[in-house]
Amino acid sequence: MKKQFKNSFYAILSIIAVFAFNSCEDFEKFEPLDANSIADETPPLASFTATQGAGPDEEWKNYTFGNGSTSATSYSWDFGNGSTSTDVDSATTYPGEGTFVVTLVAKDNLGVSSTFSETIEVIEPDEPLVPDPVLINFDFDKLPKSSGSDCSCAGWINKDIGEQGESSSGNGGTDNVVKFDNNEPDHVYQEFAVTPNADYTIAIVTSFKSPTGGPFPSMLELRVLTGSGYAAGYTPTYYTDTADFPQEDWGYTTISQVEDATNNLLVEVQDNPSDDGYFTKTYTFNAGANDSVALFIRGIGGDSIGDFLYTGGDEEIRADSVIITAVN
Amino acid sequence: MKNSMKSIKIIVLFVMGISLSSCEKDFLSPDLESLVNAEIYYNNEEELLKGVINMYDGIQGVNSTSSNDNHSLQVEFYLTEMRSDNTRTKSSEGEAAQFENYTVQATNGIVEDYYRSFYNVVFRANVVLANIDVASDANRANIEAEAKFVRAYAYFNLVRLYGDIPLVNQVLDITDPGYQAISYTRVDTAEIYELIVSDLVTAVDGLDNSYITRASKSAAQALLAKVYLTLGTNYVEAQSLCEDIMLAGFALEPNFKDVFFNELNDEIIFAIGYEKDGLDSQNFSAEWLNAVGRTSGVNYTTQDVRDALDALGGNRTLYSYRVDTDQPSQFQVVKYIPDGDETLDIEETSIDPTKAGNDWIVLRYSDVLLMHVEAIMAGGNDTSVPAALSSFQEVRNRAGLTDVVTTITKEELLDERRVELAFENHRLFDLIRFGEAQSILSQFSAATGGSFNTSDLLLPIPQREINLSRGVMSQNPGY
Repeated sequence: MKKQFKNSFYAILSIIAVFAFNSCEDFEKFEPLDANSIADETPPLASFTATQGAGPDEEWKNYTFGNGSTSATSYSWDFGNGSTSTDVDSATTYPGEGTFVVTLVAKDNLGVSSTFSETIEVIEPDEPLVPDPVLINFDFDKLPKSSGSDCSCAGWINKDIGEQGESSSGNGGTDNVVKFDNNEPDHVYQEFAVTPNADYTIAIVTSFKSPTGGPFPSMLELRVLTGSGYAAGYTPTYYTDTADFPQEDWGYTTISQVEDATNNLLVEVQDNPSDDGYFTKTYTFNAGANDSVALFIRGIGGDSIGDFLYTGGDEEIRADSVIITAVN
Repeated sequence: MKNSMKSIKIIVLFVMGISLSSCEKDFLSPDLESLVNAEIYYNNEEELLKGVINMYDGIQGVNSTSSNDNHSLQVEFYLTEMRSDNTRTKSSEGEAAQFENYTVQATNGIVEDYYRSFYNVVFRANVVLANIDVASDANRANIEAEAKFVRAYAYFNLVRLYGDIPLVNQVLDITDPGYQAISYTRVDTAEIYELIVSDLVTAVDGLDNSYITRASKSAAQALLAKVYLTLGTNYVEAQSLCEDIMLAGFALEPNFKDVFFNELNDEIIFAIGYEKDGLDSQNFSAEWLNAVGRTSGVNYTTQDVRDALDALGGNRTLYSYRVDTDQPSQFQVVKYIPDGDETLDIEETSIDPTKAGNDWIVLRYSDVLLMHVEAIMAGGNDTSVPAALSSFQEVRNRAGLTDVVTTITKEELLDERRVELAFENHRLFDLIRFGEAQSILSQFSAATGGSFNTSDLLLPIPQREINLSRGVMSQNPGY
């Protein structure tokens, strides 16, 4: 009885054992592996940043890649130039200019992966030449003003700090020069964009009427004014058509602001050469910490009277052109 | 009987009267009157000015070895210099060695200490701003500017170390419904920088140059210039901010040693002041020595920085590192030593080196001169603009390197900053700002057996914050 019981016990046990082993296979056969497993709660997210090399030689072809992926354990890089890597951070050298797609596959230990691609434009950085500034109506031609009539002073008027110059003829042309009248506070003013810290040359062609011998000989004063000295909150607008230029409320609104030495990048004064021909004078200035400056030219030498407390002297002065070029 | 009814009614009314009056709020939540407390304290400008000084107390940090105290600035070198190629621990042991090995854990106590300390500084600044109404009309703008300078300074450090971080620009009360959300929502760095820039613009407008160990106009301008350089935008504004400071009367000390051992000299634009032997003393100076106090032997110089100083330091090298006489194979930082050095003719700053009085220099004039060069270079590879050459030459001339400089490359500028400002917590930020951190630190780390990769350029968000956020806060990549 006892033995029989023991035997049947073993029999049952072995049946169970067989079932148990079989049943595992069955479960795997009929149920997908991951149906009851916990999902990957922290799947990887691939990400990277690319940095171009810098230096005097061919360093621009070198790129370094910083890995910003999260929840990943292994990485596979394709730099788009035929080379690959499995490092965390990586670097490659491109053969030259071109467009390359960089792909990073970040994978975790559960086999879940994430892919991130970025297109890299490899461009050799050229030493940018400083462009010449753009002065509108640099030739002082008789062009439309915003107030209607035409004037050689079009584009060059700032009524807050002087009276406009007059149209005139000279140097072999007609209506082609601007005139700073005797005994008047005549001026020209224009703002323009510059490259910070670049050097510039100003070439100006002028003519003085022969000295009258009076007590107030005329002089022509030229200043380059800093953009950092513009009125608070002022942002320059660069007009291209003389008819669009406003005639007041520019960056400089008072003569004291103009005469503040900290606002002057250049101050030059021309004396009467006692020869009424047209002569070219050149000056240079450095733009300093400014991306915008203003050119201001006026006749001086007369009494400190009138609305602006300056006037031209006894002789008329004419300017035919002003050309500013970058020194590269 | 009727009488007794009446007396019962009277008693009931009486009891009701007492019970009604006892329900007034005071009995349940009495105001604390015998001690100072923040809710009722700031009633006039004098009291508000104590709140202003309190901000600097927060930056100073507590001189203690208890890990529960806010050590603030006193542990900053761990997170900056020791994570760069400039310094390391003497023995490569413990939590402190995680920085040089680039194996920082989210549970690192120093990482948590600094985070907690500087959010506490932000809190102190927000308290001043929240009570700004009690200031007089004459001083309100100035006090607001000072608080905003301190807040921007704290956020600039936090955002560079931890990346996206919570933006707290008000005093948070734990009962506020938004408390949890504001404290644990990581905000994009761009938004943090917006607050920093706007705070510093206010600071530049509202401050003058009355102080060195408190906010000043020049300090705000220098910090704003550095923010612009870090963002890689507004190089022209950064340059003109530097040029304003260059006209404000600062000058390089003729002798490099005096920058550090003649306190409040003409070169210092902003420093955090410490007083020897008392509650306002500091401990970091002693930590950089051998066997002085409980924690020491940290921020020792690397071979890498000594090579750079030997090659490029000029007369700065002598006052930058020295042999550890107790352990001659090791080399210590000279700047900020507390217990004097006879050979170098440096006097001790306190009787007990662990209660040192050396101020910590945050901004000095040579930093501004080199930022001026950086602004003119404007992200380019080199410059030979005369204004940049002159600033660069001024720094080199003081170091005794008087050969005439005709062009400056980006690499030369980064090297010059390294030897001029070594051990002043600039190096890591300079490497990142110049875009050279990955290449230089991966080479350095390969040579010293560390495991650097780019995710080490940000510290982890302290694990404690992530736990308190109940999982809302995400961790930085790589941790």
